[in-house]
Amino acid sequence: MAVRVSGENFGGEVLQAKGLVLADFYSDSCVPCKRLSPVLAEIEEEYSESVFAVKININFDTELAEQYGVTSVPTIVFFKNGDEVSRLGSPIKKADIAAVIENLK
Amino acid sequence: MYDTIIIGSGPAGLSAAVYAKRAELDFILIEKEYGGTGQIAESERVDNYLGLYGENGFDLGERFRSHAEALGTEFYEGEVSEISAENSGYKVTLADGTAFETKTIVYAAGASHRRLDIKGEAEFSGKGVSYCAVCDGAFCKGKTAAVIGGGDTALGDALYLSKAAEKVYLIHRRDTFRANRLLQKQVSEVSNIEIILNAVPLEITGEKRVEALRISRNGQEEALPVHSVFAAVGTIPNSGALKGIAELDANGYIIAGEDCVTSAKGIFAAGDVRTKALRQVITAAADGANSISSVQKYLTENRR
Repeated sequence: MAVRVSGENFGGEVLQAKGLVLADFYSDSCVPCKRLSPVLAEIEEEYSESVFAVKININFDTELAEQYGVTSVPTIVFFKNGDEVSRLGSPIKKADIAAVIENLK
Repeated sequence: MYDTIIIGSGPAGLSAAVYAKRAELDFILIEKEYGGTGQIAESERVDNYLGLYGENGFDLGERFRSHAEALGTEFYEGEVSEISAENSGYKVTLADGTAFETKTIVYAAGASHRRLDIKGEAEFSGKGVSYCAVCDGAFCKGKTAAVIGGGDTALGDALYLSKAAEKVYLIHRRDTFRANRLLQKQVSEVSNIEIILNAVPLEITGEKRVEALRISRNGQEEALPVHSVFAAVGTIPNSGALKGIAELDANGYIIAGEDCVTSAKGIFAAGDVRTKALRQVITAAADGANSISSVQKYLTENRR
């Protein structure tokens, strides 16, 4: 299950992480976000060796969303060794996430 | 060949599935969205569905879906691209090329958000322009938002956004709202909602994201500095797949009465996509039941 990160630990968990990090920007009330949740759980299981997943609740960490230019949810931003390398916006399909991971892992 | 294919898994389609299972019909339910339950999923709160007072819309949709699943409904994820008459039934073709044959169709594809059709709308969609307040409301925290529309959805959105936003403009083209009176009263009591009547939106402007909304109020143009624009100007029916097959009204709704019978033999329209006076979860669920009753009658009369 993706760990929730906030403005306080985003640097350590995402920017200073080695390898590929999937950052899921979501909000509690967003329907596509709720539907994406089980899909992300499958992705985490299937790609546990290749990717580390975190989630950012934009209701609480709006500034983090703004900092990364996230203006709608869900948005998935991929970081590799601290740099943004790709992003996906709604509608997000499992195959799209898998393709990005295959490409960047 | 299936007895019926249900298209759409909103309240109408799911209710139809429950009735179809109990009637022991051989059918599948086709839905374009992964786990979709239709527009109801976007409602923050549903207060008028009997017995489930105050239920969150998403949760209500999940309950409906679980009910249909519990009875063994087979769901198929895909978007219907074509419906054609074939072998005294119909062929339903999906965007990925998969095709199914069926004796009848329950068409419950629902409706989609109507666009504002103004400059800047498409450009800033997802960058401050939204059709779902409960989805994107959090981006308005401490900011100014505009809601456009005068129905239940618009007023509900304005109330929802007023909790997070510093200020909410509620812009409506007429001099009175169409929304229910309770909502109107609630909106009038919230100090950070400014109601602007007799006004139409003209253009959404900004650099990288929405920065202002240009409107015409009583014929006078002005620009409102806003961070987000929420469009709640009604819906348009997802009836495209039946164009040329069943009769539609001038607004694109499929013409059918309470029995859901359309002008095309063996095709039944249920839910928001059908011509009706009141589009609500409860009337959609009723359509689901009626449509299957009509399917059964049709199958009996056309037994081969």
